[in-house]
Amino acid sequence: MQVRSPEVVRLPSQLTVDYTKCTGCRICELACSAKHEGRFQPSLARLKIIRYDDLGIDIPNVCGPCEEAPCVEVCPVYAMRRDPISKMVFLDHDKCILCKSCVGACVNGVILLDTTEMRIIKCDHCGGDPECVKVCPTGAIQYGPISSATTFERHGKVASYLREIEHSAETQQSDGAS
Amino acid sequence: MAAGGYTGRILRVQLGEGNFKVDKLPLEWIRDYIGGDGFAAKLLYEEVPAGCDPLGSHNKLIMSTGPITGTLWPMSGRTVFVSKAAQTGIWGESHVGGFIGPELKYAGYDMLVIEGQSDKPVYVLIEDSNLQILDAGKFWGMKTHEVTAAIKKEHTDPDIQIAAVGPAGERKVRFSSLIINNARAAGRTGMGAVLGAKNVKAIAIRGHGAVEVSDHEAFTTLAKAAHMRVRTNPQAQEMGKWGTWILTAVKQEIGELPTYNHRTGVFSGWEKLSGDYIRPRYTISDRACFGCSLGCKKMNYVREGPFAGTLGEGPEYEGLMAFGSGLGIADYPTTLKANQICNRYGMDTISAGATIGFAFEAFENGLITTKDTGGLQLEWGDSQAVIKLLEMIGKREGFGDILAEGSRAAAERLGRGTEQYAIHVKGLEVSGQDGRTHRSIALGHATGARGADHLRSLVVVDQLGYEKVAADRWGADKLPEIIDPYTEKYKATAVVESENAYCIRDTLIVCWYSVSWPPIFWMNDFADMLPLATGEKSFGDVKNLTRIAERQVTLKRLFNAREGITRADDNLPRRFTHDPMPEGPGKGQTVDLEPMLDDYYRLRGWDLETGLPTEKKIRSLSLEWTKKYAPSH
Repeated sequence: MQVRSPEVVRLPSQLTVDYTKCTGCRICELACSAKHEGRFQPSLARLKIIRYDDLGIDIPNVCGPCEEAPCVEVCPVYAMRRDPISKMVFLDHDKCILCKSCVGACVNGVILLDTTEMRIIKCDHCGGDPECVKVCPTGAIQYGPISSATTFERHGKVASYLREIEHSAETQQSDGAS
Repeated sequence: MAAGGYTGRILRVQLGEGNFKVDKLPLEWIRDYIGGDGFAAKLLYEEVPAGCDPLGSHNKLIMSTGPITGTLWPMSGRTVFVSKAAQTGIWGESHVGGFIGPELKYAGYDMLVIEGQSDKPVYVLIEDSNLQILDAGKFWGMKTHEVTAAIKKEHTDPDIQIAAVGPAGERKVRFSSLIINNARAAGRTGMGAVLGAKNVKAIAIRGHGAVEVSDHEAFTTLAKAAHMRVRTNPQAQEMGKWGTWILTAVKQEIGELPTYNHRTGVFSGWEKLSGDYIRPRYTISDRACFGCSLGCKKMNYVREGPFAGTLGEGPEYEGLMAFGSGLGIADYPTTLKANQICNRYGMDTISAGATIGFAFEAFENGLITTKDTGGLQLEWGDSQAVIKLLEMIGKREGFGDILAEGSRAAAERLGRGTEQYAIHVKGLEVSGQDGRTHRSIALGHATGARGADHLRSLVVVDQLGYEKVAADRWGADKLPEIIDPYTEKYKATAVVESENAYCIRDTLIVCWYSVSWPPIFWMNDFADMLPLATGEKSFGDVKNLTRIAERQVTLKRLFNAREGITRADDNLPRRFTHDPMPEGPGKGQTVDLEPMLDDYYRLRGWDLETGLPTEKKIRSLSLEWTKKYAPSH
């Protein structure tokens, strides 16, 4: 069986997420559905906040950044493609056969099948001016080129966070608390 | 049809029959009551008969949302639980943030009504039109965080919103609460006991639908601008950083930080309960409820000491007061641990702390001894005793079984003059304010429909000296008295007007923060927004909104009147009216309640002698229908 080697591209602008800043308010989901669906329906938002109430952590799941895009690779009819200039992945609805492969392949879980209107829903970064970024009150979601500086900063934060969780799990176990 | 924002449906869970029923939301309810608290007041008055046992099958638990619940309007994720209160036997309501209200709307319902009683433990699953009453035998006895995790796992859906009853609610602890997704509490008046008595362990809700407003474009534009008003408000920014802990220092400064069971208003150990102290040492993340750009919730972690390893949200200012200054404890980890026990057992922090404070003071004065407490020494500042007592209350073990009745009933049972230390109004323990150094809250505590309440009419404009806001709202001619915390004059004006605005807030439903404090949104903002959301033009008139608010306050009063409440019950603990504030900036102050009550009834159109709404007022507010439901005895 022949396997295509995945296309790797350099991304000019992307949605980036700093979950240490996310409060889990889901204003982004509301604004997203308001803009694209004309109503308030977070279940059809193009991004999703995962709230872990027991740990106090909220993680925004957005479209990308995908240097290798599984949704493009998996699409059997080439309906999911990259725009040659913006490098943004878009869905050609005329070609889409609703096989849901992209829904399963998306590593962030933000491609949806709308079972009412029978269509695939996928983020288009609002054509380069994402609504979620504009409404986010804490700057947890940003749009732009990924700079290595923020990546370094984020690494340190994630590391300290994980240590904290590990430590708390250990202490809770050792004192027998439930 | 004026119905933007609403789903137009009321879901009833009939436990006795094991059925569900969907009713249409009556259109005239929208016009007369807007939603939320108002809908619930109407339904409770009509359907829960006078004199019934709050823990019996005739009582109902109502969950209600408003027209903008689930929309982009700031802080519109709140919901209200209403019932005849398990703790007080009168009007009971408890508002809660989090995400469960919007989820109910997305599932397609404005209200949820739990009726009757199940003969075995069950939980209710509402997933859009998939409605089930499921066996909860295996969940019975679980703490709230355990049952929440178990239900999510059972249905393999992390996004289910769960209102859970803990061991305290199962045992009908009078101040037991409903805990939503681990740490959001519908805390006051005993909603946990009402649901526990119905044998319902949890309500699990998941919705995939939409909320559609009347004028989507205009509403969305206004909502986004409203968010920017919150985001750029300096006080809201501070609030986002410190949460309600910001209050500790403020209250200490004005001498209104309830300490030693409300004996005094200053606490020497206040600094260790202040935001400045707590945040850098314990806070690990900031969190928010649905649609909130302020984000006052804090996740905290204790690294060392006897409570090392405690990871949890909270407590709020009220919890810091209830388990901190109120009990003479200058230790944040104790309050976090106590708050966590309350959340896991499902208990109200304010009433739990105050009831323990009652026991401490009675013990100190020798009215109860180790014979009553089962050998436990009760002393101010003893963290371990507090933790022990909380677990005993949650399990109704030994002395905890008496305290589980709340301070009023516990004092009745213990006798010996202990009632002087039960600091409550109408059976509900007094929250973290003190009328002696903040006169308007004295009136609010005395007249609150559910008892000593700080959420329905607390005026902050006077307390914190917002001179300009006060002049705008109540007229410059009432200055300076109206913002002087030590005089009774004009306080009824401030209380009535604030209560009206908060009534509208509670019908929408939006959060206390951004309406009550900091003062960002008020009646005129709601009048601008509501017609866009609902399409109902009459909501655009502040006068009409005021009338709707008056109707609602009076309807709650009629509910209480039907249960026997009169002016005589609108009182305060003797401590506030007779014992002068012993120290601090308000040293020597006491409350002169009666003149404020007179003013309040006059403004409300209630009878001065009985404190009950007059015939004329009932007619002018179109509340004649209430007579149909008068008690038959």
